Amino acid sequence: MAVPGTGISQRLVSWARKKSPWITVFNSGACNACDIEIIACLMPRFDIERFGILVKGSPRHADILIVTGHVTLKQASRLRRVWEQIPEPKYVIAMGACGASGGVFHGLYHMMESVDRVVPVDVYVAGCPPRPDEIINGVVTCLGLLEQDAAHGGKEWRQKQPAPCIAAEGKGGGVVP
Amino acid sequence: MIKPVTQETIIERMRAFGTVEQVRKNRIQVRTIPDKLHDAITTSQAMLGFDRLVTISTVDNGETFELLYHLIGPLRFIMSLSVELPRNQATITTVSDILPPAGIYERQIHDLFGIVFEGHPGLKKIILNEDWPENEHPLRKDWKPGPDTFYGGIRVERRQTDA
Repeated sequence: MAVPGTGISQRLVSWARKKSPWITVFNSGACNACDIEIIACLMPRFDIERFGILVKGSPRHADILIVTGHVTLKQASRLRRVWEQIPEPKYVIAMGACGASGGVFHGLYHMMESVDRVVPVDVYVAGCPPRPDEIINGVVTCLGLLEQDAAHGGKEWRQKQPAPCIAAEGKGGGVVP
Repeated sequence: MIKPVTQETIIERMRAFGTVEQVRKNRIQVRTIPDKLHDAITTSQAMLGFDRLVTISTVDNGETFELLYHLIGPLRFIMSLSVELPRNQATITTVSDILPPAGIYERQIHDLFGIVFEGHPGLKKIILNEDWPENEHPLRKDWKPGPDTFYGGIRVERRQTDA
């Protein structure tokens, strides 16, 4: 096997991973609006479980970490620890304006400026708070990245690329240029 | 038969501890001194039915700190016991021995205002991060974050655009 990830067992694992991503949600100091939108995703109107997306309580079971909100100084080390517990391959979604830049809390004394100062972020979802369909779009974007990473044999190939940002209209980036 | 406690009874009883003022309907404010606070809470618990603590709020008045202990009971009245502390010696006896939920509010006030509650069983940090510098109390009016002080968290390199 010259190219990694092309064996039958590897293909099976990545197929299963893509069909049912498990996510864990970490509130790093948000105002809870983002968390309510995630709860709205679980409710019958959006019902993300029909796509196989499950919200798990433990980071050890998860593939995708959704970080809601700006990162306070106290939560920074905890967020790092939660991120370290997720098994590879792992993806991080920074949710909302706070996750990208601090939002209305930008420049305060008690916070880090954004999530990517603490953990590497793969997808930013814009909005304050983002709508549930944008959250689903962010997770699907992560799955697209997972597929491309499996084809390239790792995450290193997009180190120089900026992370895709989903437009507020929900058009969806999803594809890395 | 239990005699119902009326508003007049409350005002009459609490007059021994300081000036009583009816701020608005269903809210009575008692301005007392730190030495009488313990007795005031015991009295209002035992005789007037104010047996639950809503919260403790703190005001920075510049020269003094004002602590407000809000008590509520089955009477649909909220009684606020107000105590003033000098800023340079902000020390008061804890009330967590008679009101156990007060302990957690006192830890928060100790974090954010630097008021010391004597006799508290574990007055350590609760809301600020563990590596926050000592003697920095962010909700004091005269506090400003120092430009060179490290306030804990994870050290990151500053970007070029931040400067």
